[in-house]
Amino acid sequence: MRVLSRIRGLRLGTKLMLLGVPLTLLFVPWVSYLLPNKMAQLSVQMQSNQQRLIAERIAISFNRHDDLFADLPVGASGYEALLARPIQSRTPARLDGWPSDWDVQALQPNEFGPKDGDGSFALSLGTRGTTLYAYLEIVDDARVYRDPELLRLDNADQARIEFIQPDDEDGRIAIALSASGDTIAYRMDEDWRFAEAPESSVQGFVREIATGYAVELSLPFSLLGSRRSFGLSFVDVDDPDARAVRAITQTLPKSEAKESFNLVAFRDPDLLKDLERLRYSDMHLRIIDAQQRIRAETGSYRTVSRAHSAPSWQTSALGYLTTVGNWFAAIRDTTRRWLTGQPRTDRETAEAAQQRIEREVMASALSGEPVALRRHVGGVETILAGHPIISQGTVIGMIAVERNIKDILSFQREIIGQIALVSLSSFLVVLLCLLAFAGRLTWRISSLRREAAAAIDHYGRLRTDTLSSGMAAADEIGDLGRSISNMLARLDQHHTFLRRMPRTLRHEINNPLNTLTTSLERLAQESDGGRDSKYLESAKRGVLRIGTIVQSLADAANLEESLATEELEVVDIEALIDSYISNCRATHQGTRFVFHGTGAPVYGKIADYRIEQMLDKLIDNAVDFHRPGSPITVRLDAHRDGLRIIVANRGPMLPAEADGSLFESMVSRRVPGKKPHFGLGLYVVRVIAEQHGGSVQALNLVDGSGVAVIVRLPLASAETAPAAG
Amino acid sequence: MATMPKRIAIVEDDPDQRSNYIDAIVAKGYEVDAYASRQSALDGFLAHMPDLAVLDIILGDEVDAGFELCRDLIARNPNLPVIFLTERINEIDKISGLRLGAWDYLPKPISLDYLAERISSLLRINEVRTSTTEKSASAKQVGNLILDQEALLVSWRGQRIDLSGTEFRMLAKLVRAPGHAVSYETLMNATMQSLVTNNTINTHMRNIRKKFEKVDPDFSCVKSEYGFGYRWSP
Repeated sequence: MRVLSRIRGLRLGTKLMLLGVPLTLLFVPWVSYLLPNKMAQLSVQMQSNQQRLIAERIAISFNRHDDLFADLPVGASGYEALLARPIQSRTPARLDGWPSDWDVQALQPNEFGPKDGDGSFALSLGTRGTTLYAYLEIVDDARVYRDPELLRLDNADQARIEFIQPDDEDGRIAIALSASGDTIAYRMDEDWRFAEAPESSVQGFVREIATGYAVELSLPFSLLGSRRSFGLSFVDVDDPDARAVRAITQTLPKSEAKESFNLVAFRDPDLLKDLERLRYSDMHLRIIDAQQRIRAETGSYRTVSRAHSAPSWQTSALGYLTTVGNWFAAIRDTTRRWLTGQPRTDRETAEAAQQRIEREVMASALSGEPVALRRHVGGVETILAGHPIISQGTVIGMIAVERNIKDILSFQREIIGQIALVSLSSFLVVLLCLLAFAGRLTWRISSLRREAAAAIDHYGRLRTDTLSSGMAAADEIGDLGRSISNMLARLDQHHTFLRRMPRTLRHEINNPLNTLTTSLERLAQESDGGRDSKYLESAKRGVLRIGTIVQSLADAANLEESLATEELEVVDIEALIDSYISNCRATHQGTRFVFHGTGAPVYGKIADYRIEQMLDKLIDNAVDFHRPGSPITVRLDAHRDGLRIIVANRGPMLPAEADGSLFESMVSRRVPGKKPHFGLGLYVVRVIAEQHGGSVQALNLVDGSGVAVIVRLPLASAETAPAAG
Repeated sequence: MATMPKRIAIVEDDPDQRSNYIDAIVAKGYEVDAYASRQSALDGFLAHMPDLAVLDIILGDEVDAGFELCRDLIARNPNLPVIFLTERINEIDKISGLRLGAWDYLPKPISLDYLAERISSLLRINEVRTSTTEKSASAKQVGNLILDQEALLVSWRGQRIDLSGTEFRMLAKLVRAPGHAVSYETLMNATMQSLVTNNTINTHMRNIRKKFEKVDPDFSCVKSEYGFGYRWSP
């Protein structure tokens, strides 16, 4: 049994171990995910460096160009620069009072004056070629147009442009507003009272809107000189009779110095030309000044991947693996967060991330630190590199280089896919092999256990002396099986020796006993009675008793063997017991027997005198233990699945500790008495019942008044049982 | 008419028992040839063929030596009475299967009185069988059964049935009162042996039935009286 329990322990351990080992192989796909991931990181890093180098080269080519952004008073404080953006439309903008032909990026109005107050206006600036465009929306409660009778121009609503001419003289142009239609521009005197001359280069269109005017203007850059700065104001006249100037809303405060007109900055065509020379394929280049205004830009990164498409199975496997990879990464991040105790940050939107990275790159480059960062722009992953442009030790701007890295990433994914597929399939193969191996081992061990357990029956008798399964195996389990088999063989030898001992004993004892009896007889004859006869008689009784004991033991030991050769015949058990009980009444005078039969024949395939022998033992037992005066009840039941013979008597109950051992040989619950008992009675009952394919059970009666022994036997099959009657 | 004393052969390997047998048999007036082994017995039989043989079944290491000796003797004299000394019940079946002429068995430990009684009885029976005519005066008829107590002969429906001495005595007890149950105890006494169990009786009864069924497959006169004994129901 110790061996068996060891086997049970081993089985559990083996299962766990053999299942656990393949699981550690999950490490392989993880590594194959990590490795290409690191490779991709490396190539992205290299790409970043390359882009930084490109940015650096471009930046160096601009270094020490002090006049790069000279048209703008870089660094002046207290003013708001106006940004003119290129108008990208194919056709020149039409001056019609509608900004519909401006592209949306260019139409970014700056507001002046009290918000939505009388006289305030919103200004958008755009460039196209050498022309500057302006679009104004002016809020005016009372529109007062120019009176054509009056020479003075400052007594009606008008827009004014102040600038410095190429000859460094101040330039003043007033644009009179009228009902919808083309505007007329005039060069004005110093006091803005009278027109000196019409200015034909400034053109415009006015449209009345519900809140006031919408004005679209155009003027050539050549008008503004190299500084490219101008100021714009709206002069509001509300009383058509008094025609006094109610308010002037300006793009720059009145108190400012003369040259600090409100400034117009725009994409520099010269810089663009320089950039065009530096044009790199697949790259988006921008020159940005210290005020983070884009001064020039060229090129674009590809938005479509160049990589040839992978086969569909690979793509789908890739998708799966990416998911798995992301899953792993999510687990890793969560674990890291959990370990470091960081709270979970809210995921920013793609848009926000894109702008954040742009700001970071600009801030870093403009503080003199080259940088390269990854970001997502509209479904494309890019690297944005920035490098400062330095003039006289100060950062005057930066170069931003942005490039699509989708190819690198898809290459990485392809490699991850391939490696992971190979490792995953090898992992599966190894897993299956190990599982099969584990299953086989488990199966072998458990079949060995089953066989070993089945080798010994309930009563500890050996059913077989060898095991059959897996004896040829050369491994440890084979060894185990063989050693168990050897053990069984040795046990069987011992068992056989024990089983044969009573017979051997009888043979060995019978001969000396015979010598004894014959000698005693001779002695009796020779002494011819006399005084010795008393001792001779007791000696004879002693010899007889020894003979009886030896015979009983040998009979019991032989019982199973002799039962095995018994011929069985179909017998009516009802009639057998009925007859038996009637005879009992005659042989056991003074004891009452009650028989409850079925009232119909019950056929069993039995050896009748063995059943009789069994009943002998049961009745003997019942008679010995019954309470005098109480009846011994014998009952026969027949069911579909067998018959039951129940012998019950009132009297002492079964001792609790004898429960399982009652039917073993040499177990008796009788107190030692005159009659020799070897505890073979119930043993004989069991062996006979089992030999007939049945079983026996002893129970205390429910009311505790006695004991019942139940013998279960199979019924004879229908075809062998004779027809009733 | 002075008759020559009968010659009894005893084969027994245990010297003490052998000597006791010799003493008892000689005391009854027989001449005794005693042998310790199968080979010495065979040699002795060549010199003097006995009138009756008492054989121990196990001789030394030879488990079935008694049976083999018996076969040799019967081959030379089919009417030779033989008595076996047995140790096991299952040997009864074997003896019954030998279908010898006049023979019997005694289970060990034996009683010397019984032994002497058996010897004289078998010798007498043998004499009766060889000397008398078909039907002796002592023959008793019960239905289809004829029992000759003197010659220990049984016939059923006119056919002879070979029963051993013990079997004959048990059958005689049964048919003494046809239709009445005979108890195990009575049957045990009939065996004239000391250590007899119900099982021994059952074994004999089964052998008797088999012998009858051999000549008459429909034979069913020996009925079990469960819990009590047997009954002859014609």
